[in-house]
Amino acid sequence: MQDDQKKTTDFGFKEIPTEEKVKAVANVFHSVAAKYDIMNDLMSGGIHRLWKRHTISQSGVRAGQCVLDIAGGTGDLTLKFSRLVGAQGQVILADINDSMLKVGRDKLANMGVVGNVQFVQANAEELPFPDDTFDCITIAFGLRNVTDKSKALASMYRVLKPGGRLLVLEFSKPESETLSQVYDQYSFRLLPMMGKLIANDADSYRYLAESIRMHPDQETLKTMMNEVGFERTSYQNLTGGIVALHKGFKF
Amino acid sequence: MNKTLLDILVCPVTKAPLTLSKDGTELISKMGGMAYPVRDGIPVLLETEARTLTTDERLESGSTK
Repeated sequence: MQDDQKKTTDFGFKEIPTEEKVKAVANVFHSVAAKYDIMNDLMSGGIHRLWKRHTISQSGVRAGQCVLDIAGGTGDLTLKFSRLVGAQGQVILADINDSMLKVGRDKLANMGVVGNVQFVQANAEELPFPDDTFDCITIAFGLRNVTDKSKALASMYRVLKPGGRLLVLEFSKPESETLSQVYDQYSFRLLPMMGKLIANDADSYRYLAESIRMHPDQETLKTMMNEVGFERTSYQNLTGGIVALHKGFKF
Repeated sequence: MNKTLLDILVCPVTKAPLTLSKDGTELISKMGGMAYPVRDGIPVLLETEARTLTTDERLESGSTK
């Protein structure tokens, strides 16, 4: 059978043909877009705001700079960056999913953010920007959903200016076994139940929990960043390694 | 669509520059012979959403020289 040669990839714990992953992930985010913000607050007990704030503090972004927020979704990071870069700077919020982009655009418009923020629908694996464009690139809770992560990291490296930095905020591997067990109970039992109750969508939140387990751990991701050219690569565990912030530079 | 944004957008496949179509609904990559839609003011720079330019359009945009 031809199927033997077909390339597959992970979609949560399932193996699906590689070309179907984009669509499968898209369906998850079309489904969760409207309730994305409230679910983030509920699921993380508001802690996602601290993780994002920490990411901003590590970004080194200054007035006048050009920032790319990949998988920027509902615009939490973009909102803060738009204040940091000011009128002379520019923030591009890119997301592959148009539902998420529209929620983000409406939210930022309602908060009075206009002028220095632009929106683009793009695939992280094939970023539609020239080489050496951005001072800083962030991808927060997005890399996990990308089909070819190395290709996406290489694409980010390409569009980063020399001296620029990439910050990857993503779920990772808890440092302690005890935390890991509690976290497993939470994500595989409580999380889909909350998804069902609040967003009437248990499947999307089951995918969330599964995709987190399939994502490369701290050291693996660091190695992947090094392999595409990033230098001075490092990471910090946040909340016991439930989340990690990876940083890498292009020189 | 915003001019400063257009300035830093390229075709995701060929990395060639893009120009906005006269009616403002598409971003044209002359070199790649592709057109990307602009939906609801947001450029959709996905290869899967692009359309191949017709021969007439390529001639018109001067891409065949």
